[in-house]
Amino acid sequence: MDREAFIVAELQQGRITQETLELVSFARGYAGGRLPAVLLTGRNIGEQAAELSEKTGCAIYQIQGDHLEVYSLEAYCAAIAEVVSERPSALVILPHSSMGSDLAPRLAVKMEAACITAVETVQGKTFIRSVCSGRYTAEIVPIAQSVVITVLPGACPPHTPESCPPGPITKVQATPRPGRTRILGIKEPLHRDSAVKEAEVIVSAGRGVGKKENLSLIRELAAFFPHSAVGASRPLCDMGWLEYGRQIGSTGQTVTPKLYIACGISGAIQHVAGIRGAQLVVAINTDPEAAIFRISHFCIVEDLTTFIPVLLEELKKG
Amino acid sequence: MKILVCIKQVPDSSETLELNPSTGWITYNPFTVFRMNRFDEYALEEALQLREQDPGTSVHALSVGPERVSSTLRRAMEMGSDCGVHLLMQQDEYISPVTVASAIASYARTRGYDLIITGVMAEDDMACMTGQLVAAILDLPSATSVIRVDHRTHDGSLEVDREIEGGTRISLLMDLPAVITVQSGINIPRYPSLSNVLRARSQPLELVRIEDLDIVPVRESCSGVKSPDSSIQGVYIDGTLREKALWLKELLHERAFLP
Repeated sequence: MDREAFIVAELQQGRITQETLELVSFARGYAGGRLPAVLLTGRNIGEQAAELSEKTGCAIYQIQGDHLEVYSLEAYCAAIAEVVSERPSALVILPHSSMGSDLAPRLAVKMEAACITAVETVQGKTFIRSVCSGRYTAEIVPIAQSVVITVLPGACPPHTPESCPPGPITKVQATPRPGRTRILGIKEPLHRDSAVKEAEVIVSAGRGVGKKENLSLIRELAAFFPHSAVGASRPLCDMGWLEYGRQIGSTGQTVTPKLYIACGISGAIQHVAGIRGAQLVVAINTDPEAAIFRISHFCIVEDLTTFIPVLLEELKKG
Repeated sequence: MKILVCIKQVPDSSETLELNPSTGWITYNPFTVFRMNRFDEYALEEALQLREQDPGTSVHALSVGPERVSSTLRRAMEMGSDCGVHLLMQQDEYISPVTVASAIASYARTRGYDLIITGVMAEDDMACMTGQLVAAILDLPSATSVIRVDHRTHDGSLEVDREIEGGTRISLLMDLPAVITVQSGINIPRYPSLSNVLRARSQPLELVRIEDLDIVPVRESCSGVKSPDSSIQGVYIDGTLREKALWLKELLHERAFLP
C-alpha cells in the first residue's frame, strides 16, 4: 500500500526548524526518494511557505488563520485534518517535539490511523523505535490504511537544498471553531544558566550519582578544565539537587561544548537531544548497555563514585 | 471534583530484561522488580494535592495489565488514592497504546470524571501518547507536559502551564472535564502514610476484565524486538579502574582539554 506522505512543518519564533528539514529527508527515505507534501500551519506564513517551497521543492499547503498564530491542540488538529483526512491512505509525519507529541495521537484518532511515536528509522514500511531506555528497538508495522508518526529530532540528516523547481503552494483558509482551551500567555523560562551554554567542557551528572554529596566529585572534576560548567539530567533537577538552569535536554538547554563528560546518565532521548552539538562525548556508567554509550565516542563502564576519585587523584599528579 | 489517575507498572531497571526468541518480545526474569512509573507518581501526587485544596474531591487510581499490577495499585492507595481500579489484561507481549487508552476511555466514559491525569510518558516504552489518546477517544480537551495546575473553583475551569522546548511555558485555561499529562518536577511525590498503608491492606481493588470493555481494534503491530545495532556504539575502554583513569587523563591531554 502506497501511502501519500505529508510532513507537518514546525516554526519557532517564525523560523523553520531544523527538525522540519529532517522530516523531509525521512519522508523521502520512506517514499523511495519522492518528495512529501508539507503542511505549514500559522498566521502570516507566506514568507515561510515560499522559503520551504524553494528550499525543498515540496508542494506546500499553507494553512492559515488568525487563530493559528500560536500552537493550540484543537485548532491545529482541525486545520491539519481538513487537508489530510479525505485522503484514503496517508502517512502524516510530525517532529517528536512538544507540538508533535501533543498533536499526533489526536490526529491519529480523528483519521482512524495507526499512531507510532518517537520513530528513529524506517525499513521498508516498518518503523523502528527504541524501547526500555534504549536497550532494545521495536519494529512496528501499521495495519490501518493511514499512519501518523512522530520522528525523533536528530534521527535523520536534514534535507539539503538542491537545485529543484520550487514546489506549488496551495493556500488553505482554516475556519476557527469554538475551542475548550484558551491560551493565556507564554512565559519565558525562569532559569537559564549561560554558564552551561557557553562552556567548552561540560561535566554532567545523572541519576547514577546516587547521593547528593557525590555531586562534589562532579564539581571537582569540572574545576580541572578552564571554561567548564556542571550540567545535569532532568531527574537531578526534579529532585532539587541542581538548579533547572543546569538542565540539559529537550526541556532544558541545548549545548554545543567541545567535550561532554556524562556521569551516571542513562541517555534518555530527551537528554540526548540536548547534546547533539557536542564535539566529543565521554560517558561513565555502570551499565555496559546504557543508551548513553550509543551516542558516546568513548565508553567507560565503571561506577562514577569509584572512578572519578581515582581520575582526580591521577589528574592532581599533573 | 472526581479525578482518575492512570498509572503504569514498569520494571524497576531495564537491566533484568531479556529477549524471548519464541515470542520475539521482551520477557522479565525472576529478578525483575516492578514499580510505579515515576511520571505517574507525579500525576498521583498532583491529584492528591488537588484533593487537599478541595476536600470534596475523590481520587481513583487505575492501571491496565496482568495480576502483578495490583501491587502498584496498592502502592497508589498507600500514597493516598481513595481506591484502585484494575483493568485486567493477561497479555504480556506488545500491547498497543490504543488498546490501553480505549480500555481506560471505556471505563471512564460513564463514570463522570472531571479530570483524568497521567504521567507525560512511561519510562519503559516512552511513547508519550496514552493520555492524549484517552482524551481524543472521549473527545475531551487535553494538555501535555503540564508543570503547574490550578483548579479555579469559582468558575470550575483548570489553569495549567505546559512546558515546551527550552523550558518555555504556555499557560492554558481548560474547560472540565479534561485530560492532562504531567511532566516530572511538578511536585515532590509523597511517601505512604501508616494510616493509608493499613487502609490499603484491607481495601479490595475494583477488578474489571478488559473483555468487558469497549476496545478499539489495533491499528499497528509489533513484528519484532532487537538489540540495537552495536556498530553505532562508541569505543569501550578496557583495563582496570586505574588504567581507565590513566587512559582518560591521556586523552584529555592529547586533545588539549588540559594544559
